[in-house]
Amino acid sequence: MPLVIFVDDSETALASTRMVTNSMPIEVRQYTEAQVALADIQAGMTPDLIITDLNMPVMNGFEFLKALREVEATKRTPTLMLTTETKPELKQQGKALGLTGWIVKPFNPAQLKQAITRVLRLPA
Amino acid sequence: MLMLNSVDELLTHIKDVQKDVIELSSESLMKMSGFMEKNSLEIDEDISMALQYQDIITQQLNATIEAIDSMRQSIEIFSHAYESDESLATQSMVKLQEKLNATLKDAKDKKNRFSGKFAQNNEDEDIEFF
Repeated sequence: MPLVIFVDDSETALASTRMVTNSMPIEVRQYTEAQVALADIQAGMTPDLIITDLNMPVMNGFEFLKALREVEATKRTPTLMLTTETKPELKQQGKALGLTGWIVKPFNPAQLKQAITRVLRLPA
Repeated sequence: MLMLNSVDELLTHIKDVQKDVIELSSESLMKMSGFMEKNSLEIDEDISMALQYQDIITQQLNATIEAIDSMRQSIEIFSHAYESDESLATQSMVKLQEKLNATLKDAKDKKNRFSGKFAQNNEDEDIEFF
């Protein structure tokens, strides 16, 4: 099964994504700290999709994304930003860093499922 | 100066209350989501939104806590300047006002930034692929 990792400093946000994705044919791992997810990736974890929050303490979503692009295994891994931020200039910054897409919170469960299905090319 | 001490105490109190609200609301929703997961209950759009509101509430309150910290720091700097040289009071007061205004502007900006979809008029833009 494809591996999807979620990174968000909010436990309730992670609970929400977990409940939305638990019926999908994917393996999910969740992290409250981007630097811990990055350490696992550097240690050999190879996610098929990364979904991360932007505003997080210690390492924010953009810093995480930059670091991911420096790891050979995640240079081109599809990455979605899941955030409350809606500013076009932030979206542009994400796009320039190689972000696959931008999802605004609070997300619609069906739309999140559709986005994951589309990026991973899962059977609809 | 006594008045500023009272303001500082009030701000500290508001900050403490906000931290408690963040913790309690998170604990409340984690218990709810734990119950749902334990009983394999399906999440619908309304419940998903309700869970996510807590995240937005937390971000909004954290932004105001940052503003409070910044205000307290500015007040403290002013108090020290005033105590060391009262003749600089007017100048220090102007600086304090400028800093408080900047803090307020930053806090209001974060209120909009952290409102997510609630700050948008167009619901079609929930997900954007690049």
